[in-house]
Amino acid sequence: MSDQKTERLINLTLALLATKRYLTKNEIFRVVAGYSGSPETMERMFERDKDELRSMGIEIEVKGLDPLFEDDQGYLIKSESFQLQGNEFSKEELLYLTMAANLWHDSALQNDSKAALLKIQSLSGPIVSDEINTPAIRDNQSSQILSIAFNAVERQQRLTFQYKERIREVEPFGLYTRDGFWYLVAQEDLSVKSFKLLRIEGSLTTVGKPGEFKRPADFDLAAFIAQSKNEQASVAHLHVRKEQAFALRSKHATVEIDDEWDLMEVEYNFEQEIIETVLWHGLNVVVVKPESLRNQILSKIKELSNG
Amino acid sequence: MVDTAATRALRTMDLIPYILENPGISIRELAKQFNVTEKQIESDLQLVFMCGLPGYTPYELIDLVFEDGVVSIIDPQVLDRPRRFAKSELVMITLGLQILMELNQSNQDRLNKLLALANKITKLGSSNSILFSPTGNKSPFLEIITQGISQGKRIHLTYHSLIKDQVSEREVLPHNLYFMNGNLYLSALDLSLNSDRVFKVELIKKCTLGEIASSDVIDGESSAVEVVLHVRKSHRNFIERNSSIITATEEMSDHFGVHIQMSNLEWLKRSILSNAPGIKVVSPTILVGEVRQLATSLLASYQAVKAI
Repeated sequence: MSDQKTERLINLTLALLATKRYLTKNEIFRVVAGYSGSPETMERMFERDKDELRSMGIEIEVKGLDPLFEDDQGYLIKSESFQLQGNEFSKEELLYLTMAANLWHDSALQNDSKAALLKIQSLSGPIVSDEINTPAIRDNQSSQILSIAFNAVERQQRLTFQYKERIREVEPFGLYTRDGFWYLVAQEDLSVKSFKLLRIEGSLTTVGKPGEFKRPADFDLAAFIAQSKNEQASVAHLHVRKEQAFALRSKHATVEIDDEWDLMEVEYNFEQEIIETVLWHGLNVVVVKPESLRNQILSKIKELSNG
Repeated sequence: MVDTAATRALRTMDLIPYILENPGISIRELAKQFNVTEKQIESDLQLVFMCGLPGYTPYELIDLVFEDGVVSIIDPQVLDRPRRFAKSELVMITLGLQILMELNQSNQDRLNKLLALANKITKLGSSNSILFSPTGNKSPFLEIITQGISQGKRIHLTYHSLIKDQVSEREVLPHNLYFMNGNLYLSALDLSLNSDRVFKVELIKKCTLGEIASSDVIDGESSAVEVVLHVRKSHRNFIERNSSIITATEEMSDHFGVHIQMSNLEWLKRSILSNAPGIKVVSPTILVGEVRQLATSLLASYQAVKAI
């Protein structure tokens, strides 16, 4: 990596940002430090620089300056598309933005949180307030998988991954977070489903080019989430010891069986999760139905008791 | 990771407005904030001396002073304000504002301000493909706990413990609040045990603010034991989730050797059981026996309660 190229990219950005009118390529080659060599060399340099800045999210405006000569195009960067405006947020709003970003600093979104906080502090200096001690979100999601999913949704690019022991190829429509877990909403074989990101086995990979599919214009993520809450789940029948397992009791109703046990029905979507929940309660919760779930738990604790 | 020229150019341009708002900041602090080495910050700043507007006379170059390890900007040229938020940052902020709204349900004035700000951020280009689905996290004591954390004050809790399954009175010094798996937790120093504990906020039944804690209790020693576990590679999640109590890990062919420093063995036993058979206790021996005993008793429970 050369210092010269970094310098040239900075100088090009500053020149395009400072100019009031569109600069032609020839003007850029003449006035911006760092462009030298034959016209072809400079041309190639400029095209590469422009592409790199754009790939980093900088919007470079292009305008034809002379309708008769297509080559004669002008370039500039609008200040309002590049920089935040000084009065864009009030002091109080900056405080709320800081609190909102702080929530995520231990989570899969920590890179975005950090970057946004640096920008907020570049507008306001350090923000000090009692209010900033808001809770932090700790999720168990890898930020790499989340960021691949996020970009694929934005760019409408297909994804492939292994899930519930099958290889999937899907068209991602959206993402949502609920109870600290992230879900990918995607179309697989003509039906739209939720995939829990934490349950993706191994890696998440993009397939093909961005824009190869179109998210249907009438797809409504909020409506999909509301409806998916009611999707068919399996039901486990549990025996719960009296006066025990209050965490479960606070979420699910029970029916009395005898002096020792109550009966509880719990809906679940992931076998591994209900197994973990049941085992967490140790001697106080026993699965009576379905048999497959019961047998899995039995085989796990047999292995544990054999050391 | 090696920077590309474009990544480095952006970071260098981001440094200028940051230093402008934080004049006299140290190179060390900048390195920490921008997550690069001090050497890298110094070399980025060296580069800045060569950059500016066409003409490139001293009046057109970015100007900064940089001595004794601290730095200030004299003339930022056009870089006097930070870059706009990227789309993924806007999404993160939007999700954060939605959570703040959920936490502030009872404060109508603040709720309105948060809502107005969320709308403003949406207009800046946040995505409608990424949503936060509310969970109903509300606690009447959040304000008291936050005050306790900010002011270093003790809090008196009436707490329903899930592990012991009983209600008890606790005197704690709160450290911080965090969300995990949709639940809100308080991490605090339990003053009677002189050891750190985690409390689930929804199980706090009563809560009052007390005095400022004297400094001698803050660095309390806890009676932690060292536990050695073998964690199968399929259960590496356990290691990621509990990195704060893990003191060492070593990779073996099919498992990790994990050393944990902890005082709450009841919690550990439950975790081992719920991850069965992915975690095996190596030492202390007493814990090996207790886990085996627990598994054997549970098998007996399953024999007593028949399938239907």
